[in-house]
Amino acid sequence: MKTFEEKWTAWIDGELTGAELAEFEASLPDRAAAEAEKRGALKLQSFLKEYLPCPAMGNEEFFHHQLRERIAAETHVDDPAESDAGSPVWWPLGRLIWVGATALAIFAVCTIFVMREAPTADQSQYLSQILNARVDPVVNPNATITKFESKEDKVTILWVEGLQSLPSEFAAK
Amino acid sequence: MLRRSVLLLALGWALIFGGVEARGTETVWSGLVIANNTAKPDPVSPDLTYLEETLKDWFGYNQFKVIGQSRKVLVTGAEDWLAQSKYFSLHVDSKEGNDKTGYRVNLKLFQERNLLLELDAKLSKGRPIIVKGPQVGDGQLLLLLVVQ
Repeated sequence: MKTFEEKWTAWIDGELTGAELAEFEASLPDRAAAEAEKRGALKLQSFLKEYLPCPAMGNEEFFHHQLRERIAAETHVDDPAESDAGSPVWWPLGRLIWVGATALAIFAVCTIFVMREAPTADQSQYLSQILNARVDPVVNPNATITKFESKEDKVTILWVEGLQSLPSEFAAK
Repeated sequence: MLRRSVLLLALGWALIFGGVEARGTETVWSGLVIANNTAKPDPVSPDLTYLEETLKDWFGYNQFKVIGQSRKVLVTGAEDWLAQSKYFSLHVDSKEGNDKTGYRVNLKLFQERNLLLELDAKLSKGRPIIVKGPQVGDGQLLLLLVVQ
């Protein structure tokens, strides 16, 4: 069922015929005004055709090529049996090398970052450890050794008490 | 074309792994420090700036003067070096067998030719070892070792 607008457009273009034409013209409330509007529309149509020609396509060949490629691709997709039967597209050796190298490089970089993720580059997550310490018991018989590991200050301290005191000149550089 | 690709590829890999290796070398700063209290303390050495508050908290002194120091770049991890002052020397021997927890080191503190103190430690990056040494005059000798 055509709408009035569709019939109107078809009437202006002269595409209504027979009973449909008669029925439409009978439905027009003001036939004279409609005819005047039709003449105006046709005049405008001929005017536009005359003074506004379609711009020429600058890259016609390229456009056609793209269009043919697209059609061919869609045809292959629609018909998987045909695409399987077609000759496979191999990458050239140079491109394969580059793709492989890039993939390996990305893998290596990711691996390095994951392996170095924690702790930060400047600090280890482990506190330094004092495994053992000793003083000469003959020279310093009263010396005592205590180890501290301060997680808050991130330092390891060896606290040695009882070493023989030395005069201030030993502080020289 | 293929030859150029292979060359570029080799160069890329060299840069990647060269960079990794270059970042693997670390510097150990070792120092002999005299800590004492004065009315007008001298500014602390730049090597100790980040440790100044920790040193004050632990040892109760307000001045820390470096009387001997050494900065050693560890390449193989099995190296030795010496930080010296006029009367003291700190001999550090880095042993093989380092792992991610740190460097295995042996420290010996000498007062002239006398061995005062010896210790074995595992030194981790950015986690200093501080040793409270003998009383010297009105101050204290401290030994510091840090992987920077």
